[in-house]
Amino acid sequence: MSIDGQSVPGPGAAAQGTTVPATRRAVIVGGNRIPFARAGGAYAKSSNQDMLTAALDGLIARFGLQDERIGQVAAGAVLKHSRDFNLTREAVLGSALSAETPVYDLQQACATGLETVVGLANKIKLGQIDSAISGGVDSASDAPVVVSEGLREIILDLNRAKTLPQRLQILSRLRPKDLAPLAPGTSEPRTGLSMGEHQALTTAQWKITREAQDELALNSHRNLGAAFDSGFFDDLMTPYRGLTRDANLRADTSMEKLASLKPVFGRNLGADATMTAGNSTPLTDGASTVLLASEEWADARDLPKLAAVVDAEAAAVDFVHGKDGLLMAPVFAVPRLLARHNLTLADIDYFEIHEAFAATVLSTLAAWEDDEFGRTRLGLDGAFGSIDRSRLNVNGSSLAAGHPFAATGGRIVATLAKMLHAKGNSNGRPARGLVSVCAAGGQGVVAILESL
Amino acid sequence: MTLPQTVILPEMPSLSKLYVNAAAQAARRRLLGAHDTATLPAEGHEVRGVKVDVENLTAYQHLIGETASDVLPAGFIHALAFPLAMSVLNRDDFPLPLLGMIHVRNSIEQRSPLVFTDLLDATARVENLRGHRAGTQVDVVVEVGPAGTGRVHWRGVSTYLAKGVFLPGIDKASAAEPKADFSAPDPTALWHLGVDTGRAYAAVSGDFNPIHLSVLSAKALGMRRSIAHGMYLASRALADVGPARGDSFAWDVDFEAPVFLPCRVALEISTEQGGAGAWKRSTFVAWNPRSGRRHFRGTVEALHEAHGLPVT
Repeated sequence: MSIDGQSVPGPGAAAQGTTVPATRRAVIVGGNRIPFARAGGAYAKSSNQDMLTAALDGLIARFGLQDERIGQVAAGAVLKHSRDFNLTREAVLGSALSAETPVYDLQQACATGLETVVGLANKIKLGQIDSAISGGVDSASDAPVVVSEGLREIILDLNRAKTLPQRLQILSRLRPKDLAPLAPGTSEPRTGLSMGEHQALTTAQWKITREAQDELALNSHRNLGAAFDSGFFDDLMTPYRGLTRDANLRADTSMEKLASLKPVFGRNLGADATMTAGNSTPLTDGASTVLLASEEWADARDLPKLAAVVDAEAAAVDFVHGKDGLLMAPVFAVPRLLARHNLTLADIDYFEIHEAFAATVLSTLAAWEDDEFGRTRLGLDGAFGSIDRSRLNVNGSSLAAGHPFAATGGRIVATLAKMLHAKGNSNGRPARGLVSVCAAGGQGVVAILESL
Repeated sequence: MTLPQTVILPEMPSLSKLYVNAAAQAARRRLLGAHDTATLPAEGHEVRGVKVDVENLTAYQHLIGETASDVLPAGFIHALAFPLAMSVLNRDDFPLPLLGMIHVRNSIEQRSPLVFTDLLDATARVENLRGHRAGTQVDVVVEVGPAGTGRVHWRGVSTYLAKGVFLPGIDKASAAEPKADFSAPDPTALWHLGVDTGRAYAAVSGDFNPIHLSVLSAKALGMRRSIAHGMYLASRALADVGPARGDSFAWDVDFEAPVFLPCRVALEISTEQGGAGAWKRSTFVAWNPRSGRRHFRGTVEALHEAHGLPVT
C-alpha cells in the first residue's frame, strides 16, 4: 500500500522483536566530502549551507538516496551565522533527500563532526532509527562578522523603544567607533590566548622539537598525496568549484622547505618558538558527510558495510589555569575508552589523531609515553604506552588536508572506515581503528571503529 | 558598625563633584601653602539604605567577565562605596592632597554575599597615616552590610600613597624593601586592553578620574598616556579565578606598575588545594609580555583559611 504520508509500522511489529532489539550494530556505509579549500580560496563566496548541500548531494548520488527518507541527519558548523540556526535542515531541504527527513544541528567545536557520528550511531544501536547521515561544515572565508557591542545594544534598545523621543535619545548614543565591525575571534574566551598560543605552552611543556613537528607535517603531506595518487579518495569525494584535491596539499614539500618557515606561535615564551604555518593547520573551508545505517537497512539496499561504530568517549580538561593543555582532553579519553574494551594501544591497527597542530599529536603521544603522567594523572602503574608510528594518520590528516572545523570528524571517520574495510580480518579479529579529535574549550571526543 | 564620630550623609556623594572640589582644594593649597598637620580626621562618613542599580550591575559584570548573577561582585561593592571613601579624603581636615594619590594596595574581605535587592549601609574612614620612602601612605577602610543590621558583610582596605608628600612628625620609612627579581612564568591568560578600557570601566564604576579616560586628559595631569583603573585589573583577575572562590573570600592585590593603554597584559593564575582537594587559594600575577615588567599581583583565599570565620 502506498500512501502520501509517513507510514507507521503496524501494531505488533515491535512485539515480534524485529524492529526494536536491545542494541544492534551501527555501520558506516560510506562517506562523501568536497575537497577542502584554503580560506579565501575556491570556496571564498560559498556559504556553509552551499558546501554542506554539495557534500550531501554527492553522498546521495553515490548511494542512490534520492527521495529517501533518512532516519535523521545531524550536522553542524563551528563558525555559524545566526540566520543558519537550522543550517542542516536547510541543507537537507535543498538536497535530493526526502523533505520528510528530520534533522538536528549540533555544535561541539572541532569535535562536532565526530559527535554527530557518535550520537546518530547510538540512535541506530537503540533501534530508534535505521539510517542516518552525519556531517559537518565550516567556512573561515564566509565567516560571520558582527556589529560592535555598542551598536548592537543601540539597535536592540531601539527595537524596545516606544516613542520617537525615546528613539532619538537612544540614537544619540551612537559613536563612530560603534560602526566598526568585529571579525570572529579565535581566542579562548576565558584566557584570551589563541589556540596556537595555548598549544605553544603545551609544546614547550612536553619539549616537542621543531624537527619532530616538521617531520609529522611532512608525513601528513606525503601520505595524503600518495592517497590521492592511488585513487583512495575517488569514492570519498566529489569535486566542487573546480577543486578535485585538497587545496592545502603540498605533496612536494620537504624538511628544508618546512624548516625555512618562521615560528608564529609561542614567541613570547621562555622556550624557543617551534610552531610555524607549516606544522599548524591553516584556516580552511569545506564540508563532509558520513552515511550510517543498521545492517538490515544497508543489506536491503545492497549497500556496502565498511565498519562498525563500536564505542566512543568524551573528555574535558581544566585548562583555564593551565592544569592541562587546551587540546589534551583526548589524552584522558583514549585510556578510558580502551580500558572499557580491555584493549591497549597495541590492539589498534590504525590511529587517526587529528592534527590540529603537529605538536598536538606529538604532545598527546608524549603524555602517553610518560611514566609519571601515567601514574599521577591517569592512575596507571606507569606510562599508558606508545604507538607504532607507521599506523598513524596513514592517508594524511589535517596538516595536509586542512581543517574546516566541524568537517574534520566526517573526513576522518569515512577515511578510517574505508581503510579498516580494506584491511579486514586478520589474526582472527576485525581490524580496529581509533579516532581522536581535540576541540576548543578543553574538550575531546574519541571513538573506536571496527572493520566489517 | 557606627563609628564613635560619624557624619551621616543623606545620599551617596557625587564623585564628579568630589573631583572638582579636590581640584579646587589643590589650587587653594598651592596658593595658601599646604597645611602642616599630621593627623587624620577622626570622623568617618556613612550612607544608609544605598540601592543598587541592576542595569549598572549587569554592565559591570559583563565588562569584568563575571556571570550576571544576583550576587554583587566584591569589586562592584568597592566601586559602589568608592564615592563615600573619596568624600572622606576630600575633607578639609584630611592632610594629604587627594589628586595624584596612588592606589598601591587593596585588601577586601567578602564575608557573606550581598545581593542586588539588599539595601546597603556603608561607612568609610581613614586610618594608619604612615611614612613611605617615597611619600606618605594612608588606609581607607570601608565597611558594607545589609541596611539596618549593623553587620559587616564586606570590608575593604585601600592603601594610597601621596608621592612626594612628607608630613611633619611622620617618619620616612627606612630604606626600600629589597625588590625580588621577577621572571615571567608561562601565562595562563592574555588580556587585550583597548585604548577605551578606562572609559568603559569609568562608565560602570562611576570613577571618571581623567587619568583613565583619554590620552589628552591623562596628559593634562602629567601622565604620558591614560592608564587602566587598578580595580578594573584586580576585578578581572578575581573573575578569572572563577567560581571556585565561593561566596566568602579574602582578596588582596598589590599594584606595582601602571598599565598604560592600549596594551596586552599577560597573567598567570595558579590554584592551591587544601585537604580533600578543596580549593584553598589562587594567586595571580600580571605583567607586560613585551617588557616583562610586573604590573600587579595578589591572592584570593578561602576566608576561613585566611582570617578565621567572619565576626559580625
